[in-house]
Amino acid sequence: MRVALFITCLADQFFAEAGVAAVRLLRALGVEVDFPEGQTCCGQPAFNAGYWEGARPLARRTLEVFREADYVVLPSGSCASMVKNHYPELLPGSQKALDLAERTYELSAFLVGVLGVEKLGEGLKGKRIAYHHGCHALRELGVREEPLLLLKGAGAELVPWEAAEECCGFGGLFSVKLPEVSLAMADRKVATLPQAEVLTSTDAGCLLHLAGRLSKKGVGLKVAPLATLLWEAYAG
Amino acid sequence: MRAKAKLYPKEAARLLREKPGVREAVTGATLHFDRNRLKAYAEVPIAEWRERAKAVKDHALSHLDQYLELAEKRLKENGVQVHYAEEPEDAHRLLREIVERRGVKRAVKAKSMLTEELGVNPLLASLGVEVYETDLGEYLIQLLGEPPSHIVGPAIHLSLKEIQTLFHERFGTPLDASPEALAQVARKVLREAFLTAELGISGANFLVAETGTLALMENEGNIRLSTSLPKVHVAFVGIEKLLPRFQDLALFLPLTARAATGQRLSTFVSLIQGPARKGEEGPEEVHVVLVDHGRTALLADPEAWETLRCLRCGACLNACPVYRQTGGHPYGYVYSGPIGAVLDPGLLSLEEAYPLPYASTLCGACLEACPVKIPIPKLLLTWRHRAVAEGLSPAWERAMLAAYRRVMESPALYRLFSKALRGLPLPQDLLPLLRAWTEGRGPLKPSPKPFHQLWREMEEGHGR
Amino acid sequence: MDARTRILNRVRRALEGRPKALLPEHPHSPFPEDPIPLLLARLAENGAEPHLLSPEGAQALLRELAQGLPGVAFGQGVPTPFREGLNPLPPEEAPLGVSWALFAVAETGTLALSSADGRRAQLLPPTHLVLVERERVYPTLLQAFQDLKELPSALGLHSGPSKSADIGQVMVKGVHGPGRLIVAVLT
Repeated sequence: MRVALFITCLADQFFAEAGVAAVRLLRALGVEVDFPEGQTCCGQPAFNAGYWEGARPLARRTLEVFREADYVVLPSGSCASMVKNHYPELLPGSQKALDLAERTYELSAFLVGVLGVEKLGEGLKGKRIAYHHGCHALRELGVREEPLLLLKGAGAELVPWEAAEECCGFGGLFSVKLPEVSLAMADRKVATLPQAEVLTSTDAGCLLHLAGRLSKKGVGLKVAPLATLLWEAYAG
Repeated sequence: MRAKAKLYPKEAARLLREKPGVREAVTGATLHFDRNRLKAYAEVPIAEWRERAKAVKDHALSHLDQYLELAEKRLKENGVQVHYAEEPEDAHRLLREIVERRGVKRAVKAKSMLTEELGVNPLLASLGVEVYETDLGEYLIQLLGEPPSHIVGPAIHLSLKEIQTLFHERFGTPLDASPEALAQVARKVLREAFLTAELGISGANFLVAETGTLALMENEGNIRLSTSLPKVHVAFVGIEKLLPRFQDLALFLPLTARAATGQRLSTFVSLIQGPARKGEEGPEEVHVVLVDHGRTALLADPEAWETLRCLRCGACLNACPVYRQTGGHPYGYVYSGPIGAVLDPGLLSLEEAYPLPYASTLCGACLEACPVKIPIPKLLLTWRHRAVAEGLSPAWERAMLAAYRRVMESPALYRLFSKALRGLPLPQDLLPLLRAWTEGRGPLKPSPKPFHQLWREMEEGHGR
Repeated sequence: MDARTRILNRVRRALEGRPKALLPEHPHSPFPEDPIPLLLARLAENGAEPHLLSPEGAQALLRELAQGLPGVAFGQGVPTPFREGLNPLPPEEAPLGVSWALFAVAETGTLALSSADGRRAQLLPPTHLVLVERERVYPTLLQAFQDLKELPSALGLHSGPSKSADIGQVMVKGVHGPGRLIVAVLT
């Protein structure tokens, strides 16, 4: 089975270690991993801001870059949903878009849904983890249980968090177009956050935003992408 | 109502800065509503209910001309006087005529978002009519001179303390008066108004074409009183409110109640056929005003017409984490929250409502809450796309997106950008965009090396 | 051209070429054979005070409620035996209103009150006693609505005492309508 990793631009720049973790984990599970070097951004920032003409060429080139992969795996729910749900809307009538949508998975959904993995290892034994459900993973892809299953399977304790399924306020361009509202939303997440050792999520954008807000507020909570923790779950 | 939607970003920021109590009150109230909705949804086969409700509405909207004619026919048979209004002026003309003919000095009003659209209160005031909003929340904001901040709970932005202060100043009640005591004061004032008003004004949740029945939902009893005690009842009804059959109410009344407040049915429902019959108590005249005010334009819109399914239940507001931070006032028009963000550009113009489709992170909570499955996130994207196509977006944003596109279209440029991100000191406090980010979140710190570089190193180590 | 014609023309133009959506039927949901226990339970959940009584028992309940009051406002349909020995008052002055319901609905805990019975007695007194015959209790709203042959000028569906949470999100009863709803289902 050959998987192409789509690192996505934010993770590439800000959570590079998550990519390394994803590659190691997939290889450890017997998957052949490739990283097509022509990849850049899926086009979501432009698409969500209404710049569809700007997003289209990026979608088309992404279709080309990942033309040959059996599966495309992203350590990001939001970008995975862009490819799976919005490429077919952005490029109506494109068979290639439908085809890529079929083959594209968010990492944890791929592990559980395609590889059938439920237990990666014991590497998170006793670790208290707060899991933030990225909105697009949760509501556009329906990825709710997969990350929780994998984390719990490795012995992690998922701390109950009242606002776990609420939006963190990142929203791409939203975070700078309406910064005050965006921060107020982050503050609600932070205010309800229970005692935990690490905060994680599928999405780099949410984590960047939440980590920034936590540090600004002087809350010393470690923030790590889900991929990083899943590798830790496997490797200990 | 004059729209101030353009000011949304400034007003939202100002409210968060100057009135932090609003955020607290609105968050508390909407979370409460939202949890009740979830419980009420879980009790019934909600997926099937929503699908069926959507289908009934779509049917009614796709046969709207026929149902309007049928409703009109039935209403007239029931003795109701039917009027059509394209613009607020048409509604004003009718009200002026009624006020003069019936010598109206006092009017009682049941909460209606449509009458906010039409500016009914200022018009009546200009005619010398004393207008009483009779929904308790609506009465509170009328005393304060504010517009409603929520479709169902117009005063959810007010804290108990603010209301205690308001009543202390107005009615001399103690500053620590209980909610019960305050409600009794309002009841007394408004009871007098009900018993003496010559005119009752309402909206409607539904208008059944088959029987000409107006359906109105509430919990206080003020709608029943407003439509029962005065000699004249005028109901303003948006043309999208039509339901084909009386039995459709058996779905729509409980569905709306579950979505709005988590109730199985609202405490009071008024199903009105027409004026009082011989020997009965009730209004002598009932008028139904069928209002367009932008709705036919929305109906003609190949995408946005779906917003006309809206039941005005407020469930999307309660579910919306953006709305929760500010309540409805910064949105600057009658309809706020997610539904306002997709409805207002259609009812006003996109230019006038420009910032509203951007008042969302596209989190999708609204779509899950909506009882008639209005694809709000998709419509937000549609309005954004149109805004960009119409050149409404700010210059900095266009420039940024153009630069972004150039970089992302070329892996070589992307790698160069990646190097620059690490090699150059980021002018974190100079670029306005970066500053908007860093002010609340600290400096952006890229990983020491981007992944695409780590990949090469890994592959070399891998011995390829 | 008048507003009506212009609006209808615009609607027709808007719908030109638009696919016509089908109108679905409403399926009957499963319901208990005896709706009475459900009605009583739902009314109680809605904050009402439900009773299952013989007519004599309901008359005794009414007399008990009216004790010490200056009088009672009656709906038109309330049978004579219920009025005996009680002083009728106009609804504006009466502390207790008594109504005769057209029907009740178990699934929502609802009483349907006709304008033919008189509206003021249903709304103005702070306490409202509603009488409904056991045979007039429907399991579901759909069954009740499908069975409704003739509509009164106003049909009021009452499912509990008047309430509001508009003041600081605190639930308050009896804001405009009756703050107490007492229901007697007559056996």
